[in-house]
Amino acid sequence: MPGCRDALIYPFIRKIDTLSSNSYLVRTSDAVIIVDPGGLPEQAAFLASIILESSGASTKPLVVVLTHAHVDHYLGILSVPLLADPATAVIAAQECGVEALESADRRLTQAALLGLEIAPLRIDLHLLAAADGDGGGEPVTHRYACGAALTIVRRPPETGLSHEQLVIGSGPPLEVYHTPGHSPDSCCIRIGGLLFTGDLLFAASPGIAGISGWNREALVRSLAGVRALLSRGGIEAVCPGHGRMLPVDEGLGMLDAVERDAGLLAGIAELDPERASRTAAYAEDCMEQVNELFTVMTGRLYYVSHVMDELGESETAAALHALIRGDVIDDLLETFDAFSREYHAGGHVPMTLALKGGQVINKLQRSFNHDELARIIDPALVRRAERLLDDYTTMLRGFDPARDTAMHDLRDLLQTCIAGHTLRSCTDEDLLDSADDDEAFGRMLLSRIGMPPLLGDVAVDLDLGTEQLPVLADGGRVLDLVTYLIEDLVGTGARAIAVRAGRDGERAVAAISGACCAAPSACDGKPRRFLYGLCERAGGALDAGGPGSSRSFTIRFASVI
Amino acid sequence: MEITTAARGDGAVLSIAGRIDTVSAPALEQAINRSIESGTRKVLLDLSGVSYISSGGLRVLLATAKRLRDPGDRFGLCCLSADVLKVITLTGFTSIFSIYQTEGEALAGW
Repeated sequence: MPGCRDALIYPFIRKIDTLSSNSYLVRTSDAVIIVDPGGLPEQAAFLASIILESSGASTKPLVVVLTHAHVDHYLGILSVPLLADPATAVIAAQECGVEALESADRRLTQAALLGLEIAPLRIDLHLLAAADGDGGGEPVTHRYACGAALTIVRRPPETGLSHEQLVIGSGPPLEVYHTPGHSPDSCCIRIGGLLFTGDLLFAASPGIAGISGWNREALVRSLAGVRALLSRGGIEAVCPGHGRMLPVDEGLGMLDAVERDAGLLAGIAELDPERASRTAAYAEDCMEQVNELFTVMTGRLYYVSHVMDELGESETAAALHALIRGDVIDDLLETFDAFSREYHAGGHVPMTLALKGGQVINKLQRSFNHDELARIIDPALVRRAERLLDDYTTMLRGFDPARDTAMHDLRDLLQTCIAGHTLRSCTDEDLLDSADDDEAFGRMLLSRIGMPPLLGDVAVDLDLGTEQLPVLADGGRVLDLVTYLIEDLVGTGARAIAVRAGRDGERAVAAISGACCAAPSACDGKPRRFLYGLCERAGGALDAGGPGSSRSFTIRFASVI
Repeated sequence: MEITTAARGDGAVLSIAGRIDTVSAPALEQAINRSIESGTRKVLLDLSGVSYISSGGLRVLLATAKRLRDPGDRFGLCCLSADVLKVITLTGFTSIFSIYQTEGEALAGW
């Protein structure tokens, strides 16, 4: 083990999930220490089997230390007597977590969020107890039924963090630092050259920030203290509660990112089961729309590539495929879909689905070359995809997606939207002008093929009246919404659409309808649930008519006189 | 996904039921290729039972259009659900192959 030659470490590193943390088994000359036994009985049972196998005839006291009292870090030991029985083990936790553990507090242990029932856990040793003060007190030795003798030495704070030493025989002491923020009881524990950091490095991540007991100000102070601890030397590696062990410079880099993220989290909503359910529902709505948008974007690119191939431009055709990872996107969408089916069959709690949505969306954001793609296919399509993904991440972080609300004339918004979908981005003249320059012509040709106007072959009956219709709305989102609705009509076969604007009592109203649907029996007339939410975020309320051969959508805004 | 292949004159109608996703798209490609390799140059896909098509499925459709482009060849889709029709339309694929409301309408033109 780095920093103490007589000790051995057995890191149990798991694939990252919400069920269980990593566990670290440390054997010193006088004890076996487990830092976080994890959330799963099988993990705790495996650790117990390793201890029994490796100890042979000699039995050393077993000390279980928790970095914090969340179920994924401790729940597994309840079903493994070797780790939970006072006759064989001492369990230590920071004082603020003791009550939560001993009273089986479902909220503070996060059992409620993860849909788990829990039993109380006895804690033998309270770490960093307030009664011990914050300065160089006398060593106090505690003796336990299992034969362990643990000496606590309260030390003056280090780098701003409350600190004490836990001495077990002649082995290396455990330096315990109080680092609240992720939870009130979070601790970092140093043994030799290793620093066990629990969940400090993920404390500002979407879906984690804001959980019960989370505190941004405390987190910011803890991050500064741990940064100073790592920077002053002596520590060789960081052992996080999830994910692989990190060299110190990488750990410092992650601290930077957490500090940056934490700085943006003022006013975050509490992540309780109710918000987890809302986020999970939003994840499903978003993913349904994401599924369609990404399939259309990928398909559009395949189409452009196909046409270029037909024109004998096979090199360009092949290069286009590199702009979007269709196979990766399909796999990600499929992963979420399968997870969602398991969720509806009772296999997951809402929080897990919300986090899965976040994971998939994060990977989707890296699966396409935004700028290049927007030069070839409709940039508005790419922008809508980006906004959709950003909105979900914002929601998962604990905020409502930002609304850029301003005063607009509803007629102008509709006019802009229709004009944008009627005009070619590359006109005949543009194409002719570029004919002398191979490269420019190639670019024009690509955008001409990749960006056919949505309403190019559709008859539009536009009647916006003569009266101004001032509304307070998020203009960008109104444009997105109207585009989604027009796509719904044109995509299902409407060859003519009507767009109207006017008043209905005190409300300003936009109505969009389509003359026919190629497969009327297949249209249920309803837009996706996602669009109702989008309309609300845009500042309006959406209504749908149908089903049948004529479909209509109405958006109502509170009118500003 | 289930595929049923039926001969119609000198063409083949493949009726597909289920999702055309990343897992099932290769099976669809194989079924289409088997028809083409047995000498059929007219292929109609009946998608009435398909509620979802992924980009992997779209790629199979394009590959088929590319194989069936000699004079006299035919490749088309019929009986599309609203969701599938929307994706096919918005990607621009309707200019590469024909879309029909019914099998009868498609075969009448072949």
